[in-house]
Amino acid sequence: MKRFDLSSPPRSGHDGIAVVPVDEMEESTRAVRLTPETDVEAIGPALAALDVVVVTFPVFRDGRGFTQARALREYYGFTGEIRAEGHILPDQARFLHLCGVDCVMLPEGSDPTPWQEALTLFSGSYQDRLGLR
Amino acid sequence: MNAPVGHYLYNAADRGFLGERIAEFEGQVRRRLEGSLSEEEFKPLRLMNGLYLQLHAYMLRVAIPYGVLDSRQLRKLAHVARRYDRGYGHFTTRQNIQFNWIRLEDTPAILRELADVDMHAIQTSGNCIRNVTSDQFAGAAADELMDPRVHAEILRQWSTLHPEFTFLPRKFKIAISGSPQDRVAARFHDIGILARPSEAGPVFRIFVGGGLGRTPLVGQEMFDSVPEERLLMTLEAILRVYNAYGRRDNIYKARIKILVQALGIDGYRAEVEQELARMNPDHYRLSPETVEAIRARFAAPDLSAPEGASDALARDRRDNPDFARWVRSNTHPHFAPGRIVVTVSVKPAGEIPGDASADQMDALADIADRYSFGEIRVTHLQNLVLAHVAQDRLLALWQELQAIDLGDANHELIGDIVACPGLDYCALANARSIPIAQKLSARFADSTLQEKIGPLRINISGCINACGHHHVGHIGLLGVDKRGEEFFQITLGGRADDLARTGAILGAALPEDDMVDAIARIVDRYLSIRETGEGFLDTLTRLGDAPFKEAAYETV
Amino acid sequence: MKRAIRIGQGEGLVLTANRLLDGNIVWRDESGIWRPSIAHAAVLTPDHYESALDSALATAQKDAVVGVYEVVVRPGRPPQPVSVRERIRAFGPTVHPQFATELEA
Repeated sequence: MKRFDLSSPPRSGHDGIAVVPVDEMEESTRAVRLTPETDVEAIGPALAALDVVVVTFPVFRDGRGFTQARALREYYGFTGEIRAEGHILPDQARFLHLCGVDCVMLPEGSDPTPWQEALTLFSGSYQDRLGLR
Repeated sequence: MNAPVGHYLYNAADRGFLGERIAEFEGQVRRRLEGSLSEEEFKPLRLMNGLYLQLHAYMLRVAIPYGVLDSRQLRKLAHVARRYDRGYGHFTTRQNIQFNWIRLEDTPAILRELADVDMHAIQTSGNCIRNVTSDQFAGAAADELMDPRVHAEILRQWSTLHPEFTFLPRKFKIAISGSPQDRVAARFHDIGILARPSEAGPVFRIFVGGGLGRTPLVGQEMFDSVPEERLLMTLEAILRVYNAYGRRDNIYKARIKILVQALGIDGYRAEVEQELARMNPDHYRLSPETVEAIRARFAAPDLSAPEGASDALARDRRDNPDFARWVRSNTHPHFAPGRIVVTVSVKPAGEIPGDASADQMDALADIADRYSFGEIRVTHLQNLVLAHVAQDRLLALWQELQAIDLGDANHELIGDIVACPGLDYCALANARSIPIAQKLSARFADSTLQEKIGPLRINISGCINACGHHHVGHIGLLGVDKRGEEFFQITLGGRADDLARTGAILGAALPEDDMVDAIARIVDRYLSIRETGEGFLDTLTRLGDAPFKEAAYETV
Repeated sequence: MKRAIRIGQGEGLVLTANRLLDGNIVWRDESGIWRPSIAHAAVLTPDHYESALDSALATAQKDAVVGVYEVVVRPGRPPQPVSVRERIRAFGPTVHPQFATELEA
C-alpha cells in the first residue's frame, strides 16, 4: 500500500503501525480499522489512546466513511490520524479531506497525479462561503 | 449586468466554481475514454453531472434551480437544443429540462455554453442532494406567506458538492414552499420544507420521508418551527442519520422514507436530536448577514400596474369567451393589484407533455422579456409560468402564446397530463407513457368539455419508479410489462396537496390499446353520476371506486 | 451479465450495446463489428450466442461500447425484436417518427 497525503503539510506518519479491527481492540491498541457499519460511539471512550483510525470503503459509492470521519473530529475531538482505505476514487479526495481524513492508502504502483490534481481543482467551497464550519 | 428577476445573480466566485466543475468533469470523461475509470466508476460520476445513458443516446438533464429561468438562459437552452440535440427539450416534473440525443464527447462543450449563462447540470441525478424545487408561483401568488426562493438558493449552495453527502444511499430530493397552498408536494419529498414568517424571523416546518416510487409514502412532520439560523444544522443532522443508517443493501429500500418507516418518525427525530445536541451551533449557523447577502442578489421588480389594468382585463374577458376560459384555467391571483400570474400550458392537445421546440423557447424568451421582466418558471406539472403580467396586457399575451401553440386553456384540467418519457426514451421503463398522453389529450381537446369536466389530474408513469407521479394523480396510470408487451394499471384518488394521499389500485392492468377508452369511460361515468359542484375526488369519496371500476372494465 | 432469457420456437438472438462516445445503439454483425442498424446484426442460435456474448464483453472497452447484452428476435430482414422495448431501440421512438433509425445506414 502506498500512502497519499491529503493534508498539507502531511501529518507525521504512522506507517508501520499495526491496525486491528474494532472487535480485536485491546488496551495496547494504537490503531483501529472501522467498517462502514461501525457506530463511532462504540470506540468513543478508547479514542484518546489511539493514534490512527482507518475508515473503509468497500465500494466508492458507500459514503458512510465520510460521516464517520466527521463524527470522529467533531463529536469526539479526535486529533490523531484518520486514514481512508478501500475502493476510493481521486474524485473523492477533496471530500475526504474536508471531512477530516488525512491520507488515503492506495494500491502499490497507483498514479498519484489524479489525486494531486483533484486536491487543487477547486479554489473554494459553497459551504465555506455560507460560513459553515 | 442587473440582477435577474426571480433568481440569484452569479458573482465571480460562482462562475469560477462552474469552470472548475466543468474541468473536473472533462477530466473524468478523459479518464473514462482512456480506460482508467471503468463504466461502473464513471456512471455515478457522470450522473452527478446530469448525464444518463438512456435508450437511444446520452441524456443531459440541466438544472433549473427552484424552477426559475431568465430569458437569456432560455435562449441558451434553445441553442443547445438546436446545436447539440434534435431541436427540442423536455421540461421535467422536477422543474428541470432534459435533452434526449446528447453525445458524451460534446458534453464538456455544452456545459461550457451553459456556464456562459450561469447554468449547469450539477446534481440533477446521482445519489446526492438533487436540484432543489420550489413553488412555481413564489414571490407572486396572493396566497403566499413568504417568498421561499432566497432559502431555496441557500439550499442549492449548501448542497452543492457537499463533502459529506455526495455518496448517499440513494437520491435525495428537497422541496421548499412559502404558501399554505402546497404547490410543491412537500409531503412527497425526502425533505419537504414549508417556510413562514414569524415575529422572530422566518421559521420552517419540516417533513421527512415522503416519496413515490415502489413504496409511496406521505412524509411526516419532524419539526414544526425550525428557526432560520438552525435550518442548515437541522438538515445536516437529518442527512447524517440517513447517511449512516440508510440501507445500502437494496436499491429499492435505500431512500430515507424506508429508514423513517423503520425507526418511526419519533425514533428518527430522537436520532436527529442526539446529533443536534453534539453539533456546535456556531459551525452551522445560517447568519442573517449571509441570508441578506444572498437576498441582495435577487432583483426586486417594479410590480406597479397601470391605472385601470383590472378594468381592462374585465372588459377583455367579457368580449372574448375563449380568452375568458383561458383566464379561468390558466391564471392565478397575484399579490400586486393589476398583476396576474400566468401558467403557459406546454400541453397542446395531441402533443408530447412538456416538450418544447427550440423555436418555441426562443419565442417564449422574447415574450417573457416583453410581459414578465424576462423571467420564466418551470412547474412540476411540466408547464411554464410568467409570474408578473400586467392585467391590461393579458389578452395580447394570450394571443401571442396561441401563435406558438402554447395557448391551450387546460391547466389542471384533463388535458394537463403529466407523463414521464416512458419506454420511447427511458432505459428503465416498461411501457410508453407519451402515446397515451397524446391520445387522451387529443380525445379531450375541446376546451369547453375540459372545463365542464373540471379539475382532473391524470399522471402517467412508464414504470414503478413513478417519474410521472401516478400515485398522486386523481387518475394514475402505471405501465407494467407482461411478456414484453405494455399494460397499464389504473389508480384512483391520489393527490399531492395538503390532503396528500396515494391513489388506490382499481383492478387488473389493461392492455395499452384499451387504455384511452377505459379512461374515457371513467370520465363519462363521473359526468353522469356527479352531483352539482362535485369534483372528481368528491364523487369518488362519496361513492367509492365501484362505479368507476365497472366503467373501466366494461367490455363494449 | 448473463440473465435468464426466454426464447420461443424459431427465435434467435442478436447482440446489442451503446457506443461509449455518443451513446448510440449498435448491433454486432457476423464479423464482430458494431453496426448502427439491426439490419446488419448477426442472428445467433440459442446454443451459440454465449461465446459471442463473452467475446463481445471481453473487447467492450477496446471497441468503445457499453452495456453489451443479448436481445431475442424473430429472424428476418431486418430481424424483429420480440419485446416492445427492443423494437423501440431497433427502430426509434414511436412518438418521433422523424427520428426513426435508418436501417440501411
